[in-house]
Amino acid sequence: MVLLMERPQQATAFERYVVPEIDVLYRTARSLTRNNADAEDLVQDTMLRAYRAIDRFDGRYPRAWLLTIMRNANINRVRKKTPDLLDDPDATFERSAEFADHVDPEAVVVEPVFDAALETAFESLPDIFHEVVELVDVNGLAYAEAAEVLGVPVGTVMSRLHRARRRMRDHLAAAAADGDTVPFRQQRAALGGAGETEGAS
Amino acid sequence: MLKLFRRRKGLSCDQVLEVLQSYLDGEIDAGTANKVAAHLDECTDCDLEAGVYDRIRTSLAARVEPVDAGVMSSLESFGARLAAGDIPDSDPDET
Repeated sequence: MVLLMERPQQATAFERYVVPEIDVLYRTARSLTRNNADAEDLVQDTMLRAYRAIDRFDGRYPRAWLLTIMRNANINRVRKKTPDLLDDPDATFERSAEFADHVDPEAVVVEPVFDAALETAFESLPDIFHEVVELVDVNGLAYAEAAEVLGVPVGTVMSRLHRARRRMRDHLAAAAADGDTVPFRQQRAALGGAGETEGAS
Repeated sequence: MLKLFRRRKGLSCDQVLEVLQSYLDGEIDAGTANKVAAHLDECTDCDLEAGVYDRIRTSLAARVEPVDAGVMSSLESFGARLAAGDIPDSDPDET
């Protein structure tokens, strides 16, 4: 049901539904733009659009509503910069992201170089993988919320996220193979994890 | 026979690996989650794999940067101006 609001109602609704989400909006915008200044502009644009549309908002799921607005605002922003973005970004990665069979977990690099290796792996991800990891793993959005802001089905979020993590995981394995790092199994055993029950293998 | 039946009811390693990340994210149904948990209790390799992904998620979550107080203040002021009816001239596309 569409309600037309007087300005005080509009202001009240705005303060109730939009203002509490500014923090999440900014973090999300930072993930999308990877630039603090652009992120601030994107949040302002989103807030302005939200203000103009708030009399048509039914009050349910304000974060999802705002993330949808942000998605549209961001599409507009990106189009102004790069006009041709019609290709399906997932298709490029179909063949390169096959599901890995039991890759040896023991080979994965761990502390103290884990974070550094993960940083490298994370930063080398293609943009469509990087953004979904940042939205879900770094900024804590649910799959459905990330789907909202990216304008893709939840299944696509899941697929991209899982592929991205597998890429990072495989990068960590490669880093372990290249260096004299402590294998995961030994590290876990030292910490009292499941590996301690395993014999040498 | 009963043992064989039980074994078939459980998940294979391939099945667990297919849903492992969704399981760790809490995005699968409770029934499947219970089966995955039971498998991880018994399978060291899959449990190690889960540990790796869990460690990746933990490390990524720690990357979250606090929003700069100046930026937040600026955005909140912008919101307050909007709420007060002070609308900028720019005209973004309709949503």
